[in-house]
Amino acid sequence: MPIVSVLFALAVGAIFILASGHDPISAYIDLFRGAFGTPYDITETLIQTIPLILAGLSVAVAFRTGLFNIGAESQLLVGAVAAGAVGARFGFLPGPILFPMVLVAGIGAGAAWAAIAGYLKAARGVNEVITTIMQNYIVVFVIHWLLQNGPMTAPNALGTPASAPIGDGAVLPIIIPNELVPLTRLHAGIFLAILAVVVFWFVLWRTPLGYELRAVGLGPRAAAQAGIDPRSRTVIAMAIAGGFAGLAGMIQVTGVFHRVFDGFSAGYGFDAIAVALLGKNSPIGVVLAALLFGAFARGGSIMQANAGVSAQLVSVIEAIVLFVIAAELIVRIIARRRGPKPLEAIA
Amino acid sequence: MKRVFAFLVLAATVAAACGGGNTAGTTSSPTAAASASPAPTAKPIQVGLVTDVGGLNDKSFNQAANTGRLNAEKDFGLKTSVIESKKQEDYVPNLTTFAQQNYDLVIAVGFLMQNAAWKVAKQFPNVKFAIIDGAPANDAGNTENLPNVANLFFKEQEAGYLVGVVAATMAKNKVGKATHNTVCSMGGIPIPPVDRYMAGYQDAIKTVSPTTTILIGYSNDFVDQQKGKEVGLNQISKGCDILFQVAGGSGLGYIAAAKEKGVYAIGVDVDQIDVAPGTVITSAIKRVDKAVYDTSKAVKDGTFKAGDSSFNATNDGVGYGKLDPVVPADAKAATDKALADIKSGAIKPKTDLTVKP
Repeated sequence: MPIVSVLFALAVGAIFILASGHDPISAYIDLFRGAFGTPYDITETLIQTIPLILAGLSVAVAFRTGLFNIGAESQLLVGAVAAGAVGARFGFLPGPILFPMVLVAGIGAGAAWAAIAGYLKAARGVNEVITTIMQNYIVVFVIHWLLQNGPMTAPNALGTPASAPIGDGAVLPIIIPNELVPLTRLHAGIFLAILAVVVFWFVLWRTPLGYELRAVGLGPRAAAQAGIDPRSRTVIAMAIAGGFAGLAGMIQVTGVFHRVFDGFSAGYGFDAIAVALLGKNSPIGVVLAALLFGAFARGGSIMQANAGVSAQLVSVIEAIVLFVIAAELIVRIIARRRGPKPLEAIA
Repeated sequence: MKRVFAFLVLAATVAAACGGGNTAGTTSSPTAAASASPAPTAKPIQVGLVTDVGGLNDKSFNQAANTGRLNAEKDFGLKTSVIESKKQEDYVPNLTTFAQQNYDLVIAVGFLMQNAAWKVAKQFPNVKFAIIDGAPANDAGNTENLPNVANLFFKEQEAGYLVGVVAATMAKNKVGKATHNTVCSMGGIPIPPVDRYMAGYQDAIKTVSPTTTILIGYSNDFVDQQKGKEVGLNQISKGCDILFQVAGGSGLGYIAAAKEKGVYAIGVDVDQIDVAPGTVITSAIKRVDKAVYDTSKAVKDGTFKAGDSSFNATNDGVGYGKLDPVVPADAKAATDKALADIKSGAIKPKTDLTVKP
């Protein structure tokens, strides 16, 4: 089904390309070549993919627990700010000390921030969709304040609202030598992302906690009958979700930017919702969906340069993918409401 | 089984990424050969334009830069392309993409690309670069001139001053809907080119009409129209009836607020009188198209000059746009006089903000 929705979206996209007076086949070839045509393009695609994987895991772990985490964006930003602040403030420390501090700061800040939404849901029954959306606004404006003549603003930040650079010890190394792929920016964050995918799979499918989270996701009342407290699991699930997103932000700071810019995320947390849905909230699904969206992001630019088709088309295709998946979900929910409820096995 | 398959896919991707690397040294030359092949006799001059996150349809400077590119393509027979940057992290790869394809000139549109342009230009000393509104800036944030980079600066304060004269004259004489003797401006992000526009604007208002109240705000964004609109509605509620936007796409929301509340707005960068006829009374114009056009021509003619270039009122690099009929003749006369005085050097508009948020 995910593949069908992608193909359907590409077909609709082709109609748009035709309507704009271009050749869809050559445009899609340019799109593909832009994403995978040269080793440099592949590394750039992977750089786009890394934050999408992590933010996708964030949304997926919440989904598995029956929660809709719209706040991956703000959790990512909080993680980035925490990592950037620690990385700059303690920049004089050597890498083996500084890097773990920055890592913990990024993950911890994202987790704590998301746990607030989890707590409000568990203790007060506040819908997490509302709280996580609101949290996005709070973070965006707090970051404006922090970075525009605020406490984190660098004295000489290229004239842009940005923080001071992090210490060299916190910078993720480039993993491919310049002789192999000249100018590549592919950083060691990709290993952290792969590790996170393994952790996601292990925790959810190989630990008692993961079993409980999934049980709550399938039916909180049934889980409560079985002695699992849905409320505490809600807080834990949100904290894990926030941790993944915070790690995404931390990696963007330590791997790509080496400082925090105002407005630097550009919606990874929102794309992540589509990534998780398309990936069916499974570890491999999230990786492949993130790779697809990463390839769209990178290839779209090249398609525009070579074929003259607007890079915005990629956003249209992504939206249609999401639309098809959402339609499928709605159909399934309606079918479930009407018919007798099937006994669900814990997959 | 599914899982195993998927891991294989992943492994294959990684292997492709690493294995493909061995051929990296050779891939760049075939690309160059391929791009040169359509012209058997002489290789056409290639110009690549990279927009900032505002995008091509910002009805502002990215769009103006693209107009300059298309005009240069038409007039000089160049081969040109454009890439829209969707986020800040795309600046480096987008500039690199053109440089790797051996473009003759790569133009970075916008101050926010200073550091990205520095990084890429240093790696490609044989490719010429130009930065609109900026100079190459190293990782420490200090500007550093490079022998292959032209820094295209504008005297925005002069354009800001001109529209400031229009606004101040109308506010002073309470023309039309401008009844509160209060004028405003809104920037996108507080960066020097944005602040220079507003500094010139405030300077003109202080000079022409010292009693007029001046308000200033930022939308903190160059894209989101809603944020611009909120700032606009807020300022209008405080009595503003002439609103000058310096915020790219976000500024279109600011103009929309003026239109909704029936007050006046002033456009920026390009002539925006058609954005909201009857609302937009004039525009502060910055000829980004001219900068792109002239620099492309210089590369073609072999007269490319690295380092700072200034586009100002004297060389028609900045100016003011068409006036709405509501603008009285005396305001136009005062503005034209100010333009002449700026050209002669009798008026030197300020570059620092007098009124700050």
